[in-house]
Amino acid sequence: MKIDADAIRQLAELLEETGLTEIEVAEGEKMIRVGKGNPAAAAPAHVHAAPNAHAMMPSDPTIPQAASLAAPSQVAANHPGAVTSPMVGTAYMSPEPGASAFISKGSTVKEGDTLVIIEAMKVMNPIKAPKSGTVTQILVENGQPVEFGEVLVVLE
Amino acid sequence: MFKKVLIANRGEIALRIHRACKEMGIETVAVHSTADANAMAVRLADESVCIGPPQSKDSYLNIHQILSAATLTGADAIHPGYGFLSENAQFARMVEEHGFTFIGPKPEHIDLMGDKVSAKQTAQKLGLPVIPGSPGAVEDAESGLEMAKDMGFPILIKAASGGGGRGMKVVRHEGEFVEQYKTARSEAKANFGDDTVYMEKYLEKPRHIEIQIFGDKHGNAIHLGERDCSTQRRHQKVIEEAPSPALSEEGRAEIGNLAANMIHEMGYIGAGTIEFLWENGQFFFMEMNTRIQVEHPVTEMLTGIDLIAEQIRVAAGEPLTINKDIIKFRGHAMEVRINAEDPDTFIPSPGEIKTFHAAGGLGVRFDSAAYNGYRIPPYYDSMIGKLIVHGRNREECMARMKRAIHETVVDGVKTTLPLHAWILEQPEFVSGDYNIHWLEKKLAKKNES
Repeated sequence: MKIDADAIRQLAELLEETGLTEIEVAEGEKMIRVGKGNPAAAAPAHVHAAPNAHAMMPSDPTIPQAASLAAPSQVAANHPGAVTSPMVGTAYMSPEPGASAFISKGSTVKEGDTLVIIEAMKVMNPIKAPKSGTVTQILVENGQPVEFGEVLVVLE
Repeated sequence: MFKKVLIANRGEIALRIHRACKEMGIETVAVHSTADANAMAVRLADESVCIGPPQSKDSYLNIHQILSAATLTGADAIHPGYGFLSENAQFARMVEEHGFTFIGPKPEHIDLMGDKVSAKQTAQKLGLPVIPGSPGAVEDAESGLEMAKDMGFPILIKAASGGGGRGMKVVRHEGEFVEQYKTARSEAKANFGDDTVYMEKYLEKPRHIEIQIFGDKHGNAIHLGERDCSTQRRHQKVIEEAPSPALSEEGRAEIGNLAANMIHEMGYIGAGTIEFLWENGQFFFMEMNTRIQVEHPVTEMLTGIDLIAEQIRVAAGEPLTINKDIIKFRGHAMEVRINAEDPDTFIPSPGEIKTFHAAGGLGVRFDSAAYNGYRIPPYYDSMIGKLIVHGRNREECMARMKRAIHETVVDGVKTTLPLHAWILEQPEFVSGDYNIHWLEKKLAKKNES
């Protein structure tokens, strides 16, 4: 853990100047709190990591992340328009090789229209539009392996 | 040798398999549910594939998703770990049919040992002593009573479709037999959908002693000694140790050889454990587990052999690297299973581990997927780690285990560490003079006071 001595000194000086008894500054995962116990004691300072917004993240950043089957997605799976894969398989963008794709960016679709096919074990599984809307993003390519929960398409 | 192995499991065993693979230069694929996206094995594996939502039936038990993941990543073999699909013969068959190697026994052996009645018949046929009992199902109370009188009371009426310690009734004397028999059948119907029952002699104070065995594809079969797993609560093992304080050298050699012989006759491949009940110097076959067990590290500490690596080698067609001449049992080893549960009520305690520190030092091993800030998901079993300790003898092992328990920090959730510390102080455990009922009886007394 790196102790930002300059920051602490700055805050301590601010405390003195302003007559406050405690200053707390947070930035990202780090938080510094500097407080005045009594005029004779040095201002105690402690630095600790703020509780993570994503409680699932492990604290040790040095553990390398495994190469996920999914390419890092620009769209979070809980985006309201995200259509995610219900299975592991290979994405196909058209009903058969050579045929035109089911959708393109800007297509309007009705609820129940096929957006993408996910193939697994030689079985083709059509992924249907959960609601009507416009395709604003297509996040997979023809023949790309996908995992459960991966965002395929954004429908708005 | 395999280039890439898919680990079809989670938690500490997924990490264990990953470790063995990496030491052998094998690439790993970790499949996981959404709840395990930040699991240690997932972070360390070369590749990961999310195969489903948190519920086991949709992820870790989802055969199609796992096979798709293996196809897409180009894995050569699949290690099923323990639990989940490890003893699912259909899964083993499908793995092979899809061109992958199943790291485990032949599907027909999984089937044979999965049926408790056929397992017992097979064991008996291959020379193992079995618990005296009915030859098969007991069809009516009258014939049952005659059999019981022949065997001698007390006897146990067991549901054929039961398991995990459920569906069993103890009958201590003739007078209560008919009523207990009728109750057993109707309860079996209600709980398991099948009212078939069979009977066995009831052993009053047995120990649970199991033998680790290994077979390969070249006809070799060996045993790696026993583990005493008598310290149990509700039929779940709490502490395991080896060697068993109860066995003599002769007893060990005798049962070990019988077990290895059975495996040899069967042509069994891979790791397996034959579980016995032992009482007054007599062994009785109970069941066989056709997979690696949770407590395998106890045997590893005693022998210095990596059992997971051996499983992988055997599956790849190599002969066993271990044989009777090489295997040496040194000292004493113990394992405590650390569960995220209240140590008194055993109510599960999932949540975030705020501070985690594994005990260390000579002869101390901690097999766990936990880390600082790890969130224990509520969807799976509560075991978060195994603390395994080795010493030159049982006394040193116990002293080391006590020290290691007190040094272990798992802060933020409740764990059974205090329970283990308490068990290590009990005179029955210290003397080694215990059986499969001792812990529950002791806990009942403790809770009364």
